[in-house]
Order: sequence, then structure tokens, then C-alpha cells
Amino acid sequence: MEDVTTLTRTQLDALREIGNIGSGNAASALAQFLNRKIDMAVPSAKILDFKEIPDLVGGPAQSVMGIFLKVMGEISGRFLLLIPEHTSLRLLHTLIPGCEIDSPLDMGEMESSCMREVGNILAGAFLNAISTLTQTPMLNSLPSMAYDLSGSLINYVVADMVAVSDKVLMIETSFIEAEEDLRIHIFLLPDPDSLKKLLKSIGVA
Amino acid sequence: MSDYIPVGMGELKIARHPASLVVYGIGSCVIIAMYDKKNKIGGFSHVMLPDSSGIDKEKLNPAKFADTAVPLLFNKMGEEGALKSKLVAKLVGGAEMFPPTEDFSSNIGRDNVEAVKKALSILQIPIEAEDTGGNRGRSVEFDLDSGLVKLSILGQETKEL
Repeated sequence: MEDVTTLTRTQLDALREIGNIGSGNAASALAQFLNRKIDMAVPSAKILDFKEIPDLVGGPAQSVMGIFLKVMGEISGRFLLLIPEHTSLRLLHTLIPGCEIDSPLDMGEMESSCMREVGNILAGAFLNAISTLTQTPMLNSLPSMAYDLSGSLINYVVADMVAVSDKVLMIETSFIEAEEDLRIHIFLLPDPDSLKKLLKSIGVA
Repeated sequence: MSDYIPVGMGELKIARHPASLVVYGIGSCVIIAMYDKKNKIGGFSHVMLPDSSGIDKEKLNPAKFADTAVPLLFNKMGEEGALKSKLVAKLVGGAEMFPPTEDFSSNIGRDNVEAVKKALSILQIPIEAEDTGGNRGRSVEFDLDSGLVKLSILGQETKEL
């Protein structure tokens, strides 16, 4: 197993570039189906203590929409989208004609299915770009969705990744639609065993 | 105002009244609350995984794993002056946050709850109350004066355990 805490600055820079390429493609996909301009925050590749992750989205007690996918293939890992309530509702109102729900707690099958599809498209676009870059096939699982406390969602996603070390490698970025302050946070957590392959495929192993 | 002491993932803390121990955003983790009613001493252990076997002892954080966290909490409660023979436990957490799909399923929440119960039964510590399993995130406040655990779930009424 690769110890994430031994990654060099160059390797982290290369991983950040991976985040850049993946989220660039995902941002275009999002812009296309929302038919509006989407800006991208500068991605980061960080070694984080898992306890710090909820702070990136407003603390562990903040309710958010989470869409979780597994990354499968030679390079495997986890892909998590955290979407604040305001953005989730805006997406639903835009994508489903006649949708008027005012809390994600009121989502029905139609709304859930729509959110999962958003996850599917963003993850697909993100992973496709990385897959092309690394010339390694990467697939995403079907998305799974939950609206709950960010701490609970993150806790569930990282629990078995932090058995030994408290640190996880995370490539993080967010999309911002300035006019309405729509935000989507994207997290890619490569499995520790896959990290070496990922670094090798981009020439920084 | 009494103190609110947060207990993060993989942490274990002990306090006495009038303080409260709090955890926000519990998912598949399990919170083990232990309490000595007479001395009003309580502890929270926030376990993430069921089983520590196979983990290098030197790198092991015992508070992360159910099998090591329960005896650790039990002993530390004793060191802090609690009457070990009178300790009772309450359990909260162990949810599966994301519904399973074709390529993904997990029993981590259930496994955590089972491992905690097994460890408690070895030490013969009775479980007074629990709110475990399901698929919802939870937050808890443990009032060390009354010994009550206040449980909140998004979109639901607060309950007391």
C-alpha cells in the first residue's frame, strides 16, 4: 500500500493537474445541460486529515446532497459530489419542468433520479478525461444518492480508507455559477493501491 | 453555560457534569456512550471500524475500532473515578448512508454495531438504549447531569435516549 503522506510536491502538482483536466470536462458537461456558463475553482490535490473534510463544505452538521460513485477499473477509488441545498434545488427546478419542491427532503423518485443522473454525467465526464490522459480505462458505478449531514456522508465514504493512517489523498474542486452562487464540490479519492498506478500513468511515479 | 465537548471520528473523551459531550454528523460510525449515574461521569467513544486485527500495533489508534475502543473506554472511565461495575452503555449510529447499487454495497454500519455489542457483552456492560442502523445521519448530545442522550436526525423531531 502506498502511504499518501510520502507524496512529493511534484506528485501532488501532477495530481492537481489531473483534477484540473477532469473537472474541466465535467464543467463543460454541466454548462451544456444547464445551458449556462460555469466557472471552475482552481482544483487542489491535498493530503487531508479525514476530520478536516467536512469543513470544506460548511462543517459536519451542514445538510447537503451527496452523490457517491465507485471508480472501477485498473485505477479504482471513490467519487463524491457534495451539492449544497440551494444548488440542488436550483438544478431540480431547471432540469425538471414543473418541479416546485422547496426542500430536498421532499424529493420523490423523479427528483432523485434526476440528481443521480447529474452525478452520472459529471462523474462520467470527469473520469473520461482522466482515462484519456492516463490511457487507463476507468468506469464509474451507478450513482447512489443521499441528502443528509455532510459529516455523516463523508464519515461513511472514508471510514474504511483510514484504518491505519488518518490521512486521505483528495483531489477537490468546485464549480461556481457566479450569478446565482451555484456550487458543486467534487472529490476524487483514489484507493491507496491505485495511487502508484495513477502516478505512473502520468510519469511521476 | 456548561461546556459542550465535541468528540471527532476516532476520538474518545470522558467528562463529568455539568458538561455535555457532542457529536455532529454520525454516519456509519457508532458512538458508544458510557455512564456512571452515581458519579455523573460519562464517556463517548466514536468508533469508525469494527475490527483492529491485522493493523500494526504501533500504528493502531485503539479508539477507531470497536474491539479496542470498548475496553479502552471502560478502563479510562475507571481511571477517571467511575464505578466500573455500575457502568451502562447507550449506542447511536451505524447507518448505511448511501443506498446500495449493483456495483456497490456495504455493511459497515451494521458490522460496527455488532462489533460494539460483542465487545460490550464480553465486559458485561448492559445496553440501556440504542438508536442504530437505518440510513440516516445522526447528531447527539450527551448531558452528563441527567445521563440523557439527545438525538437529532435531519427532518425529524429530536428524541431522548
